[in-house]
This record gives sequence, structure tokens and C-alpha cells, in this order.
Amino acid sequence: MLLAGVVVALAATAGAAWLHEIRPRSQSALQTFNARAEKAQLPALTADEERFATTLWAVHREATRSAVALSFAGITYQTEDRDAQAFARKIEPLAKFFHDAEMQVRAMSAPPSLSKTQSQYVDAMALYANAATEMLKFAEDGDSQRLQVAHSLDVKASEYMLRVGEVLWPGQYKPH
Amino acid sequence: MRRCAPRIRSFALTAGMAAMTSLFGLAAQAQQPVCSAWLIESSRFMNVPFGSFMPDRTFVPGSTKPESNIASVDLPVNVGVIKCGSELILYDTGWKQQDYLKMTGSDHWAPLPDQLKALGFNAADVTKVVIGHAHWDHAGQLSDLPNAVLYVQREELKAIEWALNYPEPHIRAVNSDPGGCNRTPACGYMPLTVEEVYGKVLKGKAVIVDGEMEILPGVRIHPAFRAHTAGSQLLEVPTSIGKLVFGSDAFSSYEGIRDWMTANVQQTDTVQQFLAYEKCYKITGGYNNCVAAHEPLSYTDKYPLTKNSWVALNGGRMAELTLAPGEKSRKP
Repeated sequence: MLLAGVVVALAATAGAAWLHEIRPRSQSALQTFNARAEKAQLPALTADEERFATTLWAVHREATRSAVALSFAGITYQTEDRDAQAFARKIEPLAKFFHDAEMQVRAMSAPPSLSKTQSQYVDAMALYANAATEMLKFAEDGDSQRLQVAHSLDVKASEYMLRVGEVLWPGQYKPH
Repeated sequence: MRRCAPRIRSFALTAGMAAMTSLFGLAAQAQQPVCSAWLIESSRFMNVPFGSFMPDRTFVPGSTKPESNIASVDLPVNVGVIKCGSELILYDTGWKQQDYLKMTGSDHWAPLPDQLKALGFNAADVTKVVIGHAHWDHAGQLSDLPNAVLYVQREELKAIEWALNYPEPHIRAVNSDPGGCNRTPACGYMPLTVEEVYGKVLKGKAVIVDGEMEILPGVRIHPAFRAHTAGSQLLEVPTSIGKLVFGSDAFSSYEGIRDWMTANVQQTDTVQQFLAYEKCYKITGGYNNCVAAHEPLSYTDKYPLTKNSWVALNGGRMAELTLAPGEKSRKP
């Protein structure tokens, strides 16, 4: 009788422990499922859209780098040398890059389904180009308000680039 | 006897000085604030292959070994909240989910100001932000902390700028291919995040740190260069349970620190990561007070420091790590 009681108690404990162990896993599995379901909801790109995404990527790769370089020119100016001429020398090629990129992306042939995406990217390049222009003006006249204006334009441009990325390259940023 | 007299005087002088030094040391220690600390799960990256996070925990199908029988893990993105007297410090700031940045595969994100509010804090009252490094998922949401002064290592900024100007395009690219950036030197520094750092610099609310710095009595930044990124930094915090060391991604995994395994290799020198682990052992006397950024066991009994936890906004979790004397619990 006593032995049977012990066996039942042990079985109950083991059962409770098992339930305790599997519950979080079940929740985790559900969350994973939800994440996967969300991913599945993203429409796959058509062949034409894929071609546009690939063509645009060649610009995007350098645009991303140039956007960060634009911020860094400002950071270095503020925290290191305060050398307006060196600042201008860093900004000039970036201004040219964004101006050229705006023209280049505008001239690309995008499928109708991605015309809004293309426009957003063109706008992003134009905003970066304008920001660079403001920064160059600052290097000439020293009006620090121009840097604030440029910063606002940069933030807006960065958001536009992310909007395009969310459509064309949703996995471009990974956990770090 | 005469010969001994100068020796006795010298001994008395030295002993006196030593006693004074000890007294001043004790007084300085007594002045050090004891801080309270909480951990916020900013979001969670779901279903990440374990081996991509910790190479030595790579899944081997059919294996019964505990180090190789887990296929994937969910990684929290942890933010430290530290209150020392009237100062409110954040260690890392997570990332900001937007309609244009959903990070498919992540879950439980909630805005940092709302999470702080759930703890009874106001985002405008944050006085200092120390970022362990400037990757996009650790240095976001800075513009939502209008009064906070940012602390970032000069080494971190210099290394990014170096990478951006490298002649080989695959090395200088922030994103080298559509699938991601495969651990290149500037990988992970998203334009919007860097622009937020620049925003703090422009407003005069950034301190560029060179190595070690005490930002409050007893609250000390330690460099951990290349332990995750070029300018990684740790934060030592005095508390009533001993010193804590927040490590961001230099301490990505608590299990990694405990078992001496590398984790989350990005711009990482694994030797330096181990030296950062050692620094935590030396400062805290062990591994239990090392605060990890992405430990899958966070908010459970298996990571004891974080076990006093609860579920908060949008399913994200929070933990009360330690309270200073007189500080009220913020656990609901």
C-alpha cells in the first residue's frame, strides 16, 4: 500500500515536472510559428521585381556606406578636428555620389508594382544630396543651423531607405 | 638605541600614512552610491540557429550531448536600467521597430519610453546612456531620450570610419550583399542608428570616451576593445549584492561566460572576448553578476541574477536585479 502510494506520488511529480518543462517550449514554438506565419505573409517578388531589386542593390550597397560616411564626417568634425576644409573634402564626393545616384535610380526601369518603391529611393538619394549641400554650405559660412537641417534631412532619407529595404531586402539587417 | 630611533620614527610615519590612506579609502567607499538595477527585454529574436550564436553549441542532429542537442534559441535584446541616487542610466537602448523596420522574425518589441514607464520611470529623466557598442540593435531609440548624455568609445567611432574608407568595396560596405553583411568591419552600423549617434553629438550630448572612465562615483566604464566590436565597453555598477558588470555583446551569453565559450562573433577577437569575461570575474568575483545582452536563459532560474522577472509590455519580460536600501520594488 505504502509502496503504491510512493509510486503514485512519484508519477504525479514526474508528470507535473514534464508539464512544467514542456509549457515554455510550447509557447516558444507558438511564437516561432507566429514569426514564420508573419514571414510567410510577405509576398514573394516576381522575376521582374527581383531583377529591379538586384539592379538597385548595386547602388544601395554604396549608398548605405555613403550615408554612414556622411554622418561620420559630421561626428569627426564635432569631436576631433573642427577643420572646415577637411570636412568639405569629405562631403564633396558624397554629395556627388548622392546626386548621381538620384539620377541613376530615376532612370532605372522598375516594374509598375515597384514604382512607389523606386520613387522612395529617388527621394532618399535627393534628401541625402540636399543634406550634403547644406553641410558644404556650413563649411563655407559656419552657420551651425545648417548642420541641424542636414541632420533632419539625413534622418528622413535613412527612413526612406529602410522603407525600400523592407520591401526589397527584408533580411538586410541581422541580429547583432 | 640612538641608531634605532630614526627607524622607529620612519615606521611610525609610514604606519600613520597607511592608516590615513585606509581611512580615506573607507570614507570614499562609504560615499559611493549603491545603485538599483533592472533588465528590460527590448525585443526577442526568434528561432536563431544556436550554432550561429555560439559556434561551440552547433546543433548536431541525433546528438544527445547537451552542448549540441538544441537546434535554435530565442535571443532577448536586453537593456540595463540603473538608478544611482537621482541619476538614471541606461546601458544599451535596443532598437526601434517601425512600420518600415519590422525585423521579421523578431517578437515582443515595445517602445523603450513605454517600457521605462512600466517600471515607473520617465524617458525624459534618463540622464546617461552608455552603449556597449553602436550596432543597430543596441544603440537605437536615442532620440527618444532627449536629456540623456551618450557615452561611446572613440575607438568604436574610429574603427567604423576606418572601415568605411577601406578601398576594397566588400570590406567597406555596411551591407555587402542582399542577405546581410557576413561580419564585415562596418556590418551592423545602420545609417539611421549612426545618424542618431550624430544627433547626440550635434546637440552637445555625447561624451567620447578614451578607455576607462568613472561616470559617477563607483560607476565605471571599462574598455573591452574587440571583445565584440572595436570599441566595446563594459559598465561596472556598485550594488547591494556586490558589483555588477553590464557587458552588452562582449557578454552576449551568460552560459558563455560561465563555461568559457565564445558567443555572437561579429567584429570580434575571441581572445579579447575571453579577456572581457575575465575582467568580469575579477571585478565581481565570479560569473553570476555579469549581465549578458542576449542570453536565451534570461528571466529564468537558470540565469539566477535575472530570475526575479515578470512579463510586461507586448509579452516582453523585465527583471529586478537588485535594489538599493530604501528603493521600492517595481515588480508588479
